[in-house]
Amino acid sequence: MAQGVEAMLKRDDWLKLARKLDWNYSYVKEGDVFPEIISGHPWLPHADWQDWEESFKNSYREYVENQHEKDLSVYAVRDAVGRLEDVEKLNPGWVNGLKIHAAGLALAEFTGSIGNLRGARFGRDSAWRTMAAFGALDEFRHTEIPLLLYHQLVRWDPQFDWAHLFYHTNNWFAIAARHFFDELTLGQNAIEFHIATNFILETGFTNLQFIGLASLAHQANDRIFEKMVTSIQTDEARHAQIGHPVLTMVMKHDPEYAQYLVDKWFWRNWRMFSIVTGVSMDYLTDLEQRPSSFKEFTEEWIIDQFLRTLDEFGLKKPWYWDLFLDELDVYHHMVYATAYTYRSTLWFNCVVPGPKERAWLRAKYPKYWDELDAVWERIALQWKTVGPGEDHEASVHSTAMPTFCDLCQLPLSAGTPSKNSASVLSYEGASYIFCSEPCKWIFLREPERYAGHRELVKRVLSGEAPGSMPELLTEYFHLNPATWGKDAFAGHYAWMNEG
Amino acid sequence: MPVPLYGFLEGDTIGLLILAEESETMDSLAERLQEAASLRVAPSSSVSVVYGESSLAPTMTVAQAGMKPLERFDVVRCAR
Repeated sequence: MAQGVEAMLKRDDWLKLARKLDWNYSYVKEGDVFPEIISGHPWLPHADWQDWEESFKNSYREYVENQHEKDLSVYAVRDAVGRLEDVEKLNPGWVNGLKIHAAGLALAEFTGSIGNLRGARFGRDSAWRTMAAFGALDEFRHTEIPLLLYHQLVRWDPQFDWAHLFYHTNNWFAIAARHFFDELTLGQNAIEFHIATNFILETGFTNLQFIGLASLAHQANDRIFEKMVTSIQTDEARHAQIGHPVLTMVMKHDPEYAQYLVDKWFWRNWRMFSIVTGVSMDYLTDLEQRPSSFKEFTEEWIIDQFLRTLDEFGLKKPWYWDLFLDELDVYHHMVYATAYTYRSTLWFNCVVPGPKERAWLRAKYPKYWDELDAVWERIALQWKTVGPGEDHEASVHSTAMPTFCDLCQLPLSAGTPSKNSASVLSYEGASYIFCSEPCKWIFLREPERYAGHRELVKRVLSGEAPGSMPELLTEYFHLNPATWGKDAFAGHYAWMNEG
Repeated sequence: MPVPLYGFLEGDTIGLLILAEESETMDSLAERLQEAASLRVAPSSSVSVVYGESSLAPTMTVAQAGMKPLERFDVVRCAR
């Protein structure tokens, strides 16, 4: 036994062989083993990829041990503070923000697993493929954690139950989320997947989710959400490193294409995360529990780091950067005001910001707040006119068909209230509308990918989706009176009776 | 034949789908868009329809304006 133990190699002696195991193919062509359409552009022989290296190396044994410890920690927090009775004590606005995550997170992470598995097979170096295999396991874990933690809420609140149906419906936000994740992960080649997911989404935007929102969760006394996202983030930090060496190689051989991928995916990520996180932070989190605004979190966790990283790679700021900075002050506000007035199309309840909330929003977002405040003033006036109560929900709800971008599938709520930035395009005999110039630019860059998609208005006009709001809600979005969104307080706000 | 148009009301946070008739006047279009957006924007009697770069006469019809399906029109407040 002692002799056998002495014969074991040390980890540093065998790890290089274990993670770097490539060979020259003699029975098949390398291009057939790694076709460009799945491996990605630029196609280079393995000799060009052989020095691919990750900063933090892991063996499978280490992976299993580390992940096991993390899971035990999640279970411990769940047992201590993650029970139903703990969730019941949370602020209603915050709980409704959780429903956004309950709907969006699990299957999105699962698509990340599939994307990583593509990298695990079609990544161009064995070290890359090994890291992607661990990444796939990570994402599978990230699928399971929210499913585990929110399962107990399914019987407690029908909206949490519906949240698990989300991706399987044609709810307008599910259409947009599927559009995003389908292209990011499921229908993507290995190179673009790793740049879009690891370099852009996981190095920048998930910081917003998993660090920014974690600090809000702490303030909101939601320890289990805090634990869930911080535990997920520890995995992100490891597998996100795949993106850097992949991007380095693309930069070396096709810098224009590298810049395009960065510009495209920063914008597409911005669109999704500004809504999911912006709405959660600035509207659904109780005022006293907001340490910072969404804009402040974005400036700290995305902008500074992203610009430094671009510099390191020799990349330029995306061409729409000034527009993005301007949108920090307005986009998610436009979307939320719209969403409030169409809240029955959602699966979570919304709140009307009162005078204190509006004063805070004005202080944090002075540039366009006058225009947005006028909209909230009008909504509040309607509640005051009809009076609070569930029976009056429909009186404080819009019925006209809202409109959506032909690229991102999100509402045409970009620009400002005084100047909406939607623009129409005629392309090969068909008419398209885009919320913004970057969405139009992405479309024109890859029209073959997007031209056949149908956003919700086109589905209604073609007869694929019903045209009346009630039928749209029930038959197409699969919502019902128990699950569709309402005002979280049925219009009962103490401040409405004051002054 | 209805003409589906994207309507954008000054002050609103979203574009809305308006199914217009070819014989419908700009006055009517403006009134319907304001009604559709009234939960978010107070209606005004002093508005005009802008299509392309031009402000259209209130009595002009959708057909006369040459509005095509899935084009954009705006309803903006007139300067006093």
